[in-house]
Amino acid sequence: MSEPVLALENVTAGYGRMTILNGTTFSVPRGGITTVIGPNGAGKSTVFKTIFGMLPARAGRIGFEGRDITNLPPRDLLAAGICYIPQGRNIFPQLSVRHNIELGAVTAARRLDDLPRRIERAFERFPALREKASVQASTLSGGQQKQLEIARGLLLDPKLILIDEPSIGLSPKLVQETFAALQELRAAGVTILLIEQNARSALEISDHALVLELGQARIFGPAKEILHDPRVAELFLGGLAHD
Amino acid sequence: MSTFSTLIVGGLATGAIYAVVAIGFALLWQASQTINFAQGEFVMLPAFFALIAMGMGAPYWLAALVTIGMSVVILGAMFKQMLVDPMIKHGVLPMAIATMALAIFMKESVKDLYSAEAYPFPSLVPDRNLAILGANISLQHIGIIVTAIGAIIGLTLLLERTSIGRQMQATAQNPTVARLLGIPVERMILLTFVINAVLVSIASLLVTPIYLAKFSSGETLGLAAFIAAIIGGFNQLRGAIIGGFLLGVVDNLAAAYISTQYRSAVPLFILIAVILFRPHGIAGRKEERTV
Ligand SMILES: Nc1ncnc2c1ncn2[C@@H]1O[C@H](COP(=O)(O)OP(=O)(O)OP(=O)(O)O)[C@@H](O)[C@H]1O
Ligand SMILES: [Mg+2]
Repeated sequence: MSEPVLALENVTAGYGRMTILNGTTFSVPRGGITTVIGPNGAGKSTVFKTIFGMLPARAGRIGFEGRDITNLPPRDLLAAGICYIPQGRNIFPQLSVRHNIELGAVTAARRLDDLPRRIERAFERFPALREKASVQASTLSGGQQKQLEIARGLLLDPKLILIDEPSIGLSPKLVQETFAALQELRAAGVTILLIEQNARSALEISDHALVLELGQARIFGPAKEILHDPRVAELFLGGLAHD
Repeated sequence: MSTFSTLIVGGLATGAIYAVVAIGFALLWQASQTINFAQGEFVMLPAFFALIAMGMGAPYWLAALVTIGMSVVILGAMFKQMLVDPMIKHGVLPMAIATMALAIFMKESVKDLYSAEAYPFPSLVPDRNLAILGANISLQHIGIIVTAIGAIIGLTLLLERTSIGRQMQATAQNPTVARLLGIPVERMILLTFVINAVLVSIASLLVTPIYLAKFSSGETLGLAAFIAAIIGGFNQLRGAIIGGFLLGVVDNLAAAYISTQYRSAVPLFILIAVILFRPHGIAGRKEERTV
């Protein structure tokens, strides 16, 4: 494995007195899609929040491209080239779609003179958003809202995307579209760390997989192998091994 | 007919002031879940800053600038840092109760430190009447309407047309996501308090020439602004504007045609009617176009 793009070493984090990540260690290779799977409450979302400075790491080290990024605020992580798309709806409902997207670049507004071009590119990627550019974001469908979040996240050309359960609540067709967008990004050289409830379909498009259990990284390997690993199939893939 | 238009203009003037105060009230609620029951006293106090400045020989325009400056520091930044930040951790209700205590503290302080008397206050526009199409229109009322609408337009342009304004809106609508995008959330909230301080000092300069500067003069105004914000839908600035103007006009007409005795009950009647028929407020619709 070449130099990993992201590496967690013995990271400890939690909520209040509760410790969820207790010495979590794993690394994510550059390029490709790495899917994180694990039972509910395993701490998958907590890992993302800790990487992105929304939850303090109490111990350990988080490295990005060899640089220590432990507990840096979102502003610095965005500048470093990381973007985080949390679970659920993360839009500003009463702002227009265009203004929602633009806010993805507030931290860089002064040095981005090509913002209009970047927004244009976002609309090329997601034509449905262009049609609704001047409409309140609350009027978008669930899938379009996810597209908006992805478009917003791509505005600063991130090198690493952390995306938490993008398919939740979407129709199968929209899940397909979202996964296709992630595959396109991979083709463009972006590293994607994906959490998916829909583990089987996610693993099918992934290069690597990481199994997280009780805040610990249990298994790391090629997605194909994990998909066919009997232990994993039984535990997390719902035993639907023959569809 | 001529009395009617006089009454309408008078109502619009009162309404314009209600609207300015109600907008500030709604902004604070949106940005920080602060229900400021001292908002009326926030309008009462700046007039005394102006009186002190003018007492020291400052001309009107300088006194007005000093008033806005002192309000920004005391009613904006200090209010946020010293009362809201420590109290909001305990929840919305303790916070609201703390602002009620603040209202009493402000009234008593003005009474003890300045005076319990009512003081006349100079008007921005001379208090003359104009005969327009046979109606007797007060120039002062026109001045109030123009200034208040100017302030509202200025604020709207700031919120809608500038990046800072949209960052403020984003902070109010979803602070967690705003933080994820690197928006300086704390600074945006502080800015909202500063804007409220500017709005209440403008309202103070507009309303005090009519109602005089007195420690208790914020009581009715605070209630009216609160009701205007609720009528309008509480989390919509447009609602606060509509609510403010509506309340001002109906209030004035009711005082003239029904009875001055029932006048103070009118806002409450309107409030009850709105709660019954439009529980989300007049402008409280969910999905709308924005520019
Ligand atoms: N804000 C919070 N405050 C307190 N406890 C929390 C909070 N968020 C999550 N937890 C707890 O932390 C544990 C890990 O949660 P986390 O959201 O990371 O799990 P997950 O692996 O993402 O699960 P899921 O598949 O349900 O999304 C759970 O026990 C959860 O109850
Ligand atoms: Mg989760």
